[in-house]
Amino acid sequence: MKQFFYRSRQTAVGAVLLALIVLLIIPGIARAKLKSTIGGMFLPAIGVSSVGNNVIGVLSSKSLNPVQDEVNDQAIDSDLKLENIHLRAENLRLRAAADWGLRVPWRTKLAQVIGRDSFNWWRRVKLNLGSQHGIRSNQPLVSIEGYLVGRITEVGLKTSWAVLLGDPNCRFSALIKSSRQQGGIVSPRRFNSNYRIVELTYLPNDIEVRPGNLVVTSGLGGAFPKEIPVGQVEDSWLSRDGLYLEAKVKIHADLNRLEEVRILTEY
Amino acid sequence: MTFRISKMLLLLIGAYFLTFIQSYWHWPRLLLGFQPDLTPAFLVFVGMTMGAGYVSSMALATGLWLDSLSANPFGISVFPLFFVGWVVFCVREKIMTREFMAQIYLGTIASLIVFLFQLILLRMFSANPMIGWEMVFWSLLNAFFCGLFVPLFTLSHKAFGRWFSHPSYEPNKWLDNNRQIVRGKD
Repeated sequence: MKQFFYRSRQTAVGAVLLALIVLLIIPGIARAKLKSTIGGMFLPAIGVSSVGNNVIGVLSSKSLNPVQDEVNDQAIDSDLKLENIHLRAENLRLRAAADWGLRVPWRTKLAQVIGRDSFNWWRRVKLNLGSQHGIRSNQPLVSIEGYLVGRITEVGLKTSWAVLLGDPNCRFSALIKSSRQQGGIVSPRRFNSNYRIVELTYLPNDIEVRPGNLVVTSGLGGAFPKEIPVGQVEDSWLSRDGLYLEAKVKIHADLNRLEEVRILTEY
Repeated sequence: MTFRISKMLLLLIGAYFLTFIQSYWHWPRLLLGFQPDLTPAFLVFVGMTMGAGYVSSMALATGLWLDSLSANPFGISVFPLFFVGWVVFCVREKIMTREFMAQIYLGTIASLIVFLFQLILLRMFSANPMIGWEMVFWSLLNAFFCGLFVPLFTLSHKAFGRWFSHPSYEPNKWLDNNRQIVRGKD
């Protein structure tokens, strides 16, 4: 029997074909579950790898002058706190003057990027937080500096996948900050190996789009909250049919070097 | 545990780490600009040195693991990997698989075939990946890496064989030539 299993060519081909047919005919939900389960087989390796990284990080972060570092960190921290208090007070004053309702304060969760898509034709990252930590599909991702990075697409128990800006599956509405003209951010039509380039399309053809114009999320569609910085315009041109304008946008966040991100859990 | 099962386990562990490294080690992407995919080289090596069961098992495991760590439709990588492994397995008696250069050519061609097959299948499943001329350049570079890794896999396989199995008995070879009694004149 064992000889038959290992030697028979027909069995080998049959097994692969059978597996492929089963994968084709099972429903999409079952396929997604199976994918998530098989992806979960890498959790032990992720655990070992992150422990190793932490050890290396602890060993390499030993500063020559730890006291000075601590003083610097505290100074930066207190500066940021002061600035935050000042901005909050200003914001409250302006909202009161304009009779504007209070915005729901954003709540974020810090997540670590632990993996990336195996193939170069997708832009996705794997995060170390999952449904166990309150992560849900379609929650927006921002960088530590507050720039838009992407959104959550698949959520597992302990990990989740997020699609990054520039991926064909990450399209959303955005606007040019100065002129308030709306368009849609899409993946570059001509493939660009530069992770920081996306396209802003469907802009009205009678406006002026200049290099350096800032692009922010429009809040339309509900995918992302309003006014999250996305990037700045580098170049613009009229579409082939002349009906709308398109622009090349260089995004603020360096997606190739993402290590930590913030997931907006309430916004 | 029989040698055959332990060999299968060893291969599975190898395939597991190969796919894991591809997704979780980020430095090749920073260094080269793209993530190399060495699984075609692995399947060529399996096709060259092992049986049909190994080829199908490795194609299934590697393909499913790769797709589970990607936005690809699940199972799409299995067929291209199986195809190259199977073709090499079927023609290995007719080609010079022991030659270093032949192994490099096999790995290079296999990588390009897998890349093309994957793209065709993605289009067939109406997935819309990012494709451009730079991607073609990356695939050529990746094919070169795959070519280099086939002899490397073969060498490491030989080394494992030396370390973990008994030396094979060859009736016409003496372990120590000094102990051989040479008969005949002079």
